Order: sequence, then structure tokens, then C-alpha cells
Amino acid sequence: MSSRDEILARIRSAVAHAVEAPEPFEPARRRGDFAAFAAQVAAAGGAALGPFRAAEAGAAVTDLCRKWSPAGRVLASDAALLCLGSGPWSPIPADAPPHSLADVEVAILCGALGVAENGAVGLDGREARPRALFVLCERLVLLVETRHVVPDLHAAFAALPEGALAQPHFTFVAGPSKTADIEGELVLGAHGAKELVVVGIDV
Amino acid sequence: MSARLDERAAETLPHGPRLAAHDAAVFALRQKRDAAGRAEPDFERLREQARRIKAHALDHLDVQLERFEASAQRAGARVHFAADAAELRDVVGQLLARAGARRVVKSKSMLTEECGLNLHLEREGIEVVDTDLGERIVQLGHEPPSHILMPAIHRSRADIGALFERELGSAPGDTDPGRLTAAARRDLRARFLGADAAVTGANFAVAETGSLVLVTNEGNADLGMALPKLHVACLGIEKVVPTLADLAVFLRLLARSATGQPISAYTSLVTGPRPGAELHVVLVDNGRTKLLADHRHRSVLSCIRCGACLNTCPVYRRAGGHAYGWALPGPIGSVLGPALGGGAGAALPFSSTLCGSCSAVCPVKIDLHDQLVAWRLHGAPRGAGEIWLARAAGVLLARSWSYRLAGRAARALWPLLGRAGRANPLAGWLAARELPPHPGASFRARFAARARRSAE
Repeated sequence: MSSRDEILARIRSAVAHAVEAPEPFEPARRRGDFAAFAAQVAAAGGAALGPFRAAEAGAAVTDLCRKWSPAGRVLASDAALLCLGSGPWSPIPADAPPHSLADVEVAILCGALGVAENGAVGLDGREARPRALFVLCERLVLLVETRHVVPDLHAAFAALPEGALAQPHFTFVAGPSKTADIEGELVLGAHGAKELVVVGIDV
Repeated sequence: MSARLDERAAETLPHGPRLAAHDAAVFALRQKRDAAGRAEPDFERLREQARRIKAHALDHLDVQLERFEASAQRAGARVHFAADAAELRDVVGQLLARAGARRVVKSKSMLTEECGLNLHLEREGIEVVDTDLGERIVQLGHEPPSHILMPAIHRSRADIGALFERELGSAPGDTDPGRLTAAARRDLRARFLGADAAVTGANFAVAETGSLVLVTNEGNADLGMALPKLHVACLGIEKVVPTLADLAVFLRLLARSATGQPISAYTSLVTGPRPGAELHVVLVDNGRTKLLADHRHRSVLSCIRCGACLNTCPVYRRAGGHAYGWALPGPIGSVLGPALGGGAGAALPFSSTLCGSCSAVCPVKIDLHDQLVAWRLHGAPRGAGEIWLARAAGVLLARSWSYRLAGRAARALWPLLGRAGRANPLAGWLAARELPPHPGASFRARFAARARRSAE
């Protein structure tokens, strides 16, 4: 017998299929607006700007890039380009192998949703491509439409974009990469982006 | 190494400033967990919901596993099963060999610690690099992790500075956590870019969608999954949750219970391989079906490895993780140890205070202190001394005259018992404790005297 069949047989003889699933969880009502979301982004070590009208967002992100005066490349996804117009960024090269992105300093991507309870931005795999980009870059800018902010994770899973899980990954990103592995002291920028800025957009 | 946890603790984390720092660092996590729980109005209801979801999922584990397998395969993942640690090592070893992988980046997985995967792969000539900062520190120091979440919490920054100076060429004498982290980041970034394969664990697997869920604060799992063309994820069969709606409940509890964060920095739902890459999932039993079949102990399979029970445990805080002698320390290590931990695990249920603090903080409400008692009653072997002591007590306490005689003997010997010294059988117990003051006379005598006084 294969290990698979053996393990399943052992499980079958151990379980009774008698315990019922609980009723769906009813979360407490909470705020699901951009201000509540922005406060949690800050608590997670990130920064939130805006919300801006779509026409102003390009200038805000341009200012941000000037402040950083990046030495490396600044790349923006197609959706981000569409939203921001032209600026000190260039499009992500089509079919770029992930290893070619190691020198990217700033990546600008569009988030699919924002979660007010924890400051996480949901990144759709179709947008965050190549997958390595949002972790390899030194600084990450995520554009989030204010109408896509939901109160909590339950609402976030209910609001996942159609086909999001037909993609290899969907990632919630809350603040910059961090570690506290040395004596419990918080350090930002362990492996991924050292800074994360969320830019709210009113459509 | 000594067989007793208290003696091992004295060797691996002796009294001194390092012990005090360890205690403070892990208890700070407990306090953050408390604050996060109080700030979240859903928290206590989430714990009850999580307990019930797990009770249902475990009682339908065959159905859930088959459902996960089918959905993951539909998404393009290859699913393997491993009956024990040896088979996991073989399966992963063969997958890497078939792909010709020589350099592997690993993100944290308690399961592969439990199964001794690193050592096996290194013997096969594969370079294995742990990428979680804490795991990397203990790997460079040639020691196992001492905490589920913070593997190097037993080490001081000076220790780590010296280690990095030797191994990574960081500046001599530099003990700044920020600069040491930057040194590790530079070194590991190059290793990520040069890796042939990534081996990871998974926090959850979702039956409904076939997704693996990987949670980190550092982003190391995401880098590993995104660069090399081969990703092997290893997880215990108990990690399957039925639906995405269920997953939301666990994700809301996990980071709050672990570090007090409302969510960790990166939570990835991985459904199938990325284009041009391979994703293999290895589902491991290694003793879990035995626990599933034992109704007294099934609940321990609900564990989501948050580490909250470690951070609150008076024994763990004093002893440190290495004293437990196997991959999982703390209360959860002491209740899984007898079943999964081999020789080192058998006596662990006796090294606990039964204070119940672990059960009070567990996000899935595992009855940890009752589990400890259950293992004491039927699971772990007892020492001859303990059996002799219990028999003697049974004889002495059964008759009034022998009970009184024993009390008189104890009062007479009291001053001797309190004295330090190797001849004293209580010496070990007295190392950190004092006997209560001598009562002067027996309770019976004092009660009679009091009755006489009030009659006068």
C-alpha cells in the first residue's frame, strides 16, 4: 500500500465524521474607511498618503520618488502607469526573469484591496508580476482605491477578485519586511522592502 | 546531556543576565499578545470558533486531505505523502536530486526540524541555507532553534555580533541589531539569487482552493518561492483547514497570539506553481494519525504553532528551548513530545507546573494543562523513586497512627531538611526555594490548645 493510502486508511479508522462544522463567524462591526486603514498601515511600520484624486496621485508619487532620490531602477506596473501617468518610473519589462530585478529600488504596484483591521494590502498575482518584485525592491509603493478598503479579513476573503486563486499567489502585505530575531528588538527590512508607502486613490 | 529538563536547563541557560534577558524578551511577547487580544473585540469569540473549526476539520481529516489534494493538483501542484520522518527526508532528497539542485534556501518549518531534514540533505552534499534570521543565526552557531518563533532568542546581541564577525565578516565589535540584520540580508540575498530550490513549511493548507498559506514577517518565504524554479513545501497532515472563510479566523488569531501584531508582514496564498516552475507539497504523518486516533490527545493536533504557550510558561521562560531536547519546546512541546519527540520527549509532561497559563493563552483553546496531566497518568514512564514514594505515602496516610508518627518525624527532621548540602534529598528542590517556617506543633495539637483556651 502506498503511504498515501496507508495514511488515509489510518485516518479513516480514527475519525467518526461526527463533529459538525460551526456556524460562519459573525465579526463585530468596525470601520472600513481609508483613515482607519491608514492608521493600521502606520502601526505596521508603513506610511499612508492621501487619499488623492486620480489626477493628483502622479504628483504625490513623483514627490515621494524625488525625496528618496533612488540610485536604482524605479518600476511601475501597467495598472500603476495607467493610474499615475508619466513620471520618474518606467514600465516593468515584459517577461523579465525574476533575477534581473535585483537592482530595483522602487516598485509601484496596485493593490486589489486594503484591510482596515490590520493595514494589509491584498496583492493579486496578476498584478504583482514577476512575483519576486515586491520582495526584491528596497521600497514598495502600493496604490489602493479607497472603495476597495474592507473592514476585516473576513470581508477581504469575501471580496477577493474573481480568479485571484486561479493564480499562483495572492499576498497580503502589511508594512515593510521586519524581524525581531536579535534580542526581540524590531528591525525593518529583513529580506523584503525596507519601506512601504500606501497611496490612497479616490476614483 | 542529562535526562532531566531542570538539569539540562542549568547547562544550556544558566542563571545570569542572559537568563533574565530571555525571560524578559519572551514575556514581552506575552504582554503584546494580551494587549492585542484586549484591543480586538472579536478575539475571544475567534478563539472559540477556531477550536470548533479544528475539531470539525480533524474529525473529517480524510475528506479534507483528499479535497486539498485534488484542488492542489488541479492548480498544478504535485502532492506527496510521507508516513514518517525518514520518508519525508527521502521524498525531499529525491525531488532535489532529480532537479539537480545543489543549493537550497529554506524558510522556517518546525516540521522539517522535527524530521531532521537539514542534516540529511547536507549528508547528500546539498548546501542548505536557513533564511529566517533567527534560524540562520542558530544554523551558523551549529545549534537547534530554541523558540518556535524566535529561534535565537537565547542568544545575546554580543554573541550574535561575534558569530557574524566570524561567519559573515561584519564589523568587529558591532552588536547593533539593525546593522547585524543588514549584514545577514546582504549575505542571504546573494544566496537567494543563487539558489536552485526552495524548501518551506506552510502555516495552513486550504482544502477548498488547494492553496498553501505561508506567513512570515521577514519575507524570506516569498523570496524563496519567487526565485528558484523548484519549491518543495513540507507540512503535517493536520494543517488542512476546510475553507477560505475558516482561514480568515486562523489568520486573525495567529499573529495576535504570536507577537501582538494584527497580521504578519507577508501572508501568501500559494495556489499551484508559477509559470515555468514546479511546486511539490509533501504531507507528513510522522505519528499524527496515532494522536488523531487517541481521543484523549487529539486536541493537540489543533496547534497553529504561534508560540504563545511558550511565552507565558514559567518553565519555558526559565529553562529556554534547548532544555526540552527536541524540536518543539514549551508546553506544546511537552504534550507533543511523548508522541512525536522520541526518547527526549517521554519525561517532558513531568517538567511542568500545571499552572494552566498555557491553556489560557492558546488561540485554539487546546487544553494544554489537562493534556500534561493525561500524559503523566498514562503516557510517560515513571521513575522507580516516584513509584516508591507514592506507595510509601499510601501506607502512611491510610492509618491515623502512622500519619501522626510521620508528622512527628517530619517536624523533628525539619531543620535538617532545610539545610543545603549534597546529602539532603531535597537539595535540588531547595536550590531555588525555601521551606516554609516550622509550624512549632502539629495542627491537631494547635487545634486542641485553641479549643482549651476558648473553653476557659
